[in-house]
Amino acid sequence: MTRPEIGEKLRQVMKESVRKELDWQNVTENSRIAELGFDSLSILDLVYDVQQAFAIDFDAEELVGVRTVDDLVSFLEARLQ
Amino acid sequence: MNAKRQVVVTGMGLITPLGLDEQTFWQNMLAGRSAIRRISAFDVAELYKAKNGAEVDSEQLAAALEAAKIRASDRTVDMGLLAASAALASAGLLDAEGRCTEKGVATIIGSGGGPILTVEEGYRRFAELGDRGMRPTSIIRGMLNVICSHLSMRYRLTGPNYMVVSACTSSTNAMGIAFRMIRDGYADRALCGGTESFFASLVYRCWDKLGVMSTNPDPAAASRPFDTNRDGFVLGEGAGMLVLESLEQAKARGAVIRGEIAGYGESSDAEHMTRPSVEGQVRAMRAALESAETSADEIGFVNAHGTATKTNDECESKSVREVLGGSADRVPVASNKSFFGHMLGASGAVETAAALLGLECGRVPPNLNLVNPDPLCNLNLVGKDAIDVNASVVMKNSFGFGGNNAVLILRKAPVG
Repeated sequence: MTRPEIGEKLRQVMKESVRKELDWQNVTENSRIAELGFDSLSILDLVYDVQQAFAIDFDAEELVGVRTVDDLVSFLEARLQ
Repeated sequence: MNAKRQVVVTGMGLITPLGLDEQTFWQNMLAGRSAIRRISAFDVAELYKAKNGAEVDSEQLAAALEAAKIRASDRTVDMGLLAASAALASAGLLDAEGRCTEKGVATIIGSGGGPILTVEEGYRRFAELGDRGMRPTSIIRGMLNVICSHLSMRYRLTGPNYMVVSACTSSTNAMGIAFRMIRDGYADRALCGGTESFFASLVYRCWDKLGVMSTNPDPAAASRPFDTNRDGFVLGEGAGMLVLESLEQAKARGAVIRGEIAGYGESSDAEHMTRPSVEGQVRAMRAALESAETSADEIGFVNAHGTATKTNDECESKSVREVLGGSADRVPVASNKSFFGHMLGASGAVETAAALLGLECGRVPPNLNLVNPDPLCNLNLVGKDAIDVNASVVMKNSFGFGGNNAVLILRKAPVG
């Protein structure tokens, strides 16, 4: 899976997972995940949805340091290799 | 504490197999249209003995959710949110942002299974994927009160907020509790009612195995309350919500009054999990009449529990006859379940809405499929056509597994 493919798929997963109405046109790679409407609870669902969509396993604690959409793409890219 | 206050209905919301709004629902009832079809939510071709159901149209439901900007989560929650929105809007209690304009509104909701479809999905994921399939938010998605909590959060209802769980009496109990809260001065307003769905392959099969549902091959003929050839109930799904408020508060803000909850009675048989008792039902009906400070002579029609099981209809007929006494040969009795099956925990609320609509327009919808009235159901049963009635008081019965009995007395508007 290429990096742009991961980015596109992640975008879809996030769209379906987030509960807040968002203008996705304005969401960029540098957008901070915490500012996209995910809180401490809904981030648990996002982690789950990402795991299911990409068929990988990781602990939520491993995401320490992941702040932006781009950080998450990099994390997934490393995991998927 | 204040003296007892009158409690009126100022809003109604219905999401049902007969329509996703009050008018469509009621017109379909008066026209005698059954909502019962072969189940479409999952494949019933094999394994399932009972293949009929009354399902809410999924395409219409999805469109309604989208229009209301509600993200689909759990079908039972979703239907409850939509019915609540319609009830609060029709009561004139929502602002431009869809938030409740009044403080302290209670949210008292009945459901037998709650978000059981989500629970089934959770088990399915676990069975397929093991620990990896378990959602970290399973608890807060699967707890019973996820329903009333979503209603409270979305519409900013800041009063008491909890579920009532008593199988098929759930929403009638919920409305009764809300009625008492307002009558006795603990709240001025309440959103109350019920929501329910069991249309998923595993939980539906649980019902199927119990052997209480009709196996009639003809869906439209399957739900036949009080008919000699009835062979069990048909499962339905849906949500019904009412807004109740004190008469003074409703008048003070110029609300349209749809009817009055005049009394409520409840009892437990304390005998058997599934076999009802005449004695227990009679106690609940008499308690409701006493609570409404009225008598059986005043009752204009009875909206029956009428599930179409052999046991319920025979037992309920005896109970109603005992309570009505000399009026039993006069008072029309009908079961709405002949149209949309048994919505379990939501049935009482949806049927109470139908009873209020009947009071408003002086019409009682028919007992569909009542071809050969069971001589053991010796009541003045409405036939295959809707009838005109000049009624100002209705008795609404709900009975449930576990030996629960709940009865509301409704009075026609204007009241006061």
